Amino acid sequence: MRTPACTTPCLACAVRGQPVRVLAVDGGDALARRLGDLGLWPGTPVEVLCRAPGGDPILFQLRGYRLALRRDEAARVRTAPVESAA
Amino acid sequence: MALCGRPNAGKTTLQMALTGAHLRPVNFPGTSVERVESTVHVGDVDLRCVDLPGILSVDPVSRDEQLALDFLRQGDGDRPDLLLAVLDASKLSVELHLLRQLRRLGLPIVVALTKQDVAEAQGMPVDAAALGRALGLPLVPIDHRTGGGIPQLRELLARGAAAVPAAATGGDQDPEQLAGGVQRTGRPARLWTDRLDAVLLHPVLGPLALLGVMLLVFQTVFSVAEPFVALVEHGQEVLAGAVASLVPEGWLQSFLVDGLVNGLGSVLVFVPQIALLIALVTILESSGYMARAVFLLDRVLRKVGLTGRSFVPLTSSFACAIPGILAARIIDDERDRLATIAVAPLMSCSARLPVYVVLIGAFFTPGQAGFVLLGMYLLGIVTAAAVAFVLRRTALKGGRSMLAMELPVYQRPSLKVMGVQAWIAVRGFLVTAGTVILLATVIVWALAWFPRPAHIHESFEARRAAVVAGAAGDAERAHLDDMEQAAYLEQSALARIGKAVQPVFAPAGFDWRVTVGVLASFPARELIIPTLGTLHSLGEVDAGEYGIGAMTDGARDEGLRGALRRGRDASGRPTMNWLVALSLMAFFALCSQCVSTLAVMRRETHSWRWPAFAFAYMTALAWLVAVLIYQVGAAFGFAPG
Repeated sequence: MRTPACTTPCLACAVRGQPVRVLAVDGGDALARRLGDLGLWPGTPVEVLCRAPGGDPILFQLRGYRLALRRDEAARVRTAPVESAA
Repeated sequence: MALCGRPNAGKTTLQMALTGAHLRPVNFPGTSVERVESTVHVGDVDLRCVDLPGILSVDPVSRDEQLALDFLRQGDGDRPDLLLAVLDASKLSVELHLLRQLRRLGLPIVVALTKQDVAEAQGMPVDAAALGRALGLPLVPIDHRTGGGIPQLRELLARGAAAVPAAATGGDQDPEQLAGGVQRTGRPARLWTDRLDAVLLHPVLGPLALLGVMLLVFQTVFSVAEPFVALVEHGQEVLAGAVASLVPEGWLQSFLVDGLVNGLGSVLVFVPQIALLIALVTILESSGYMARAVFLLDRVLRKVGLTGRSFVPLTSSFACAIPGILAARIIDDERDRLATIAVAPLMSCSARLPVYVVLIGAFFTPGQAGFVLLGMYLLGIVTAAAVAFVLRRTALKGGRSMLAMELPVYQRPSLKVMGVQAWIAVRGFLVTAGTVILLATVIVWALAWFPRPAHIHESFEARRAAVVAGAAGDAERAHLDDMEQAAYLEQSALARIGKAVQPVFAPAGFDWRVTVGVLASFPARELIIPTLGTLHSLGEVDAGEYGIGAMTDGARDEGLRGALRRGRDASGRPTMNWLVALSLMAFFALCSQCVSTLAVMRRETHSWRWPAFAFAYMTALAWLVAVLIYQVGAAFGFAPG
């Protein structure tokens, strides 16, 4: 439940205390556009703040604000780890 | 002028600061959707100012966003001359992303930069002057705590669209670079919002806190409003007494006391609770807690086929299902929206609250009150969940919704916003519901007063003549007077209607008076209060006879609550007790008794199918549950008498 199987690293499997960077948002549909409007652009640093009871949705910190995403929404955002949390 | 920006940017607060809270809700052209409009007076210039729903981009997902953008893009004369873009300094880069899109609409833009304090607290202050220069747009930083920047902004707006460059250069800058140039970046500092969220969004403490908050809201509505309710009831009795002493006995006295004063009292008695509930819901919403509740409940609400976003329309429905159904526009998925609309009227609205308050006050102790009240709200919620679950697996199968929602920084709720919201609700209630209730009260009074056949009077005259003269017979004569009133009522037009329909409601424990109340309240559920009041005050039998003096709690025996407790049938047995009250409250919790809600439902779903469906299922469920409660209680020997 806490670490769902992810073939490629994505926001859904991000862990608290390990900041990541957005690589890309998959798909070209309304959800992908909306995630872009919310500030999930390539290179954006994102941190997990907490998860709701049951692990879904997930609360992220990015671009100076708090964003709640469902797990399947977060799974659309491919990420890479940030080496040094500066 | 149109105010536009992302959700939570501070548009409404800004509008209130600019206009001094003289807001009035108006409709978007061609729809039933409300927008808030106001007028800004600057010198001799009047600016019409429209507060648009929050948008994230010019590529709308929800109906709310669609409406805001349709308004900005429309071709006719109603298109705004000027756009006041409200930007939140604490998340500048995403805000600039929206601004870049807004500039492509080709409207002159003035920028208001809000929440600099939050940006500073996060360690990311914005250089407003540099941002204005970089954008090439007039920009005014606004401080909502001190009102700083408001005079400058008013002046700028007064000079009007002419003073603002329409298509400024540099509209296509990269928002990230732009933000980086004027904002100190770095790791955001830990805010007290984060500390608060550590508790309020905690997997165990969070849901407990949510339950506590909801319980607190209901207990507050009940207990804080209680003295005011008692005051209204007391005032009603005083006024009735004064009128009765001035006007000679007869139909005019009865019309004034039992009809008008009673009707007036039953309108005013709603006001404390409505104002209080709206104020509390406004606090939850404007403080930022509502978004936390959506976050905590999304998973649960998805299990029953709704979405976390349903929480806002459903919570608004606790005040009134009409704004609740309108608020469902924030739901992006159409099936989720329809399911939310279908179950929203099951949330106990403020019109049900007085019914609960009267019945709980009459038949339960103050210690039980909060729990019974919460129980009634829970009954509606659980039923709504069951209905939504069934709907999403049958008529509304499939669909896919988004959550993708910002959790704003906690902020102190504005007393002004609270006051304005409460006042709008109370005024709307007094104007619309108030007149309907008063009119219905008079009609019910007339039906209960007529006919008055002479033979009843004659028979009682004969019995009065038989009583011994002087003070010794006073009590006996007074008792006979009351019996005469009861005898008139028993054969009135209203009683005949009630008795004809009563067999339908007999399994739920309703006598003919309660049945009349239920029938009278189908156009608007609050009508039961004046109906029961008229029925019980007209037919009231001498209190001393039944040992009311033994009751300890004086306030519980004033007004309608006392009259309900003293209600007796022809054979002298009490007609109501806590079990009947419970069954009646459950009926009201579930039944569809509001014509306005059904009308709004039709407008929002563009079909009569949904309101017809809602009316049918709610009424059937209400009857079933009321019968179930009464029959189970009666089997355990709790029936009255």
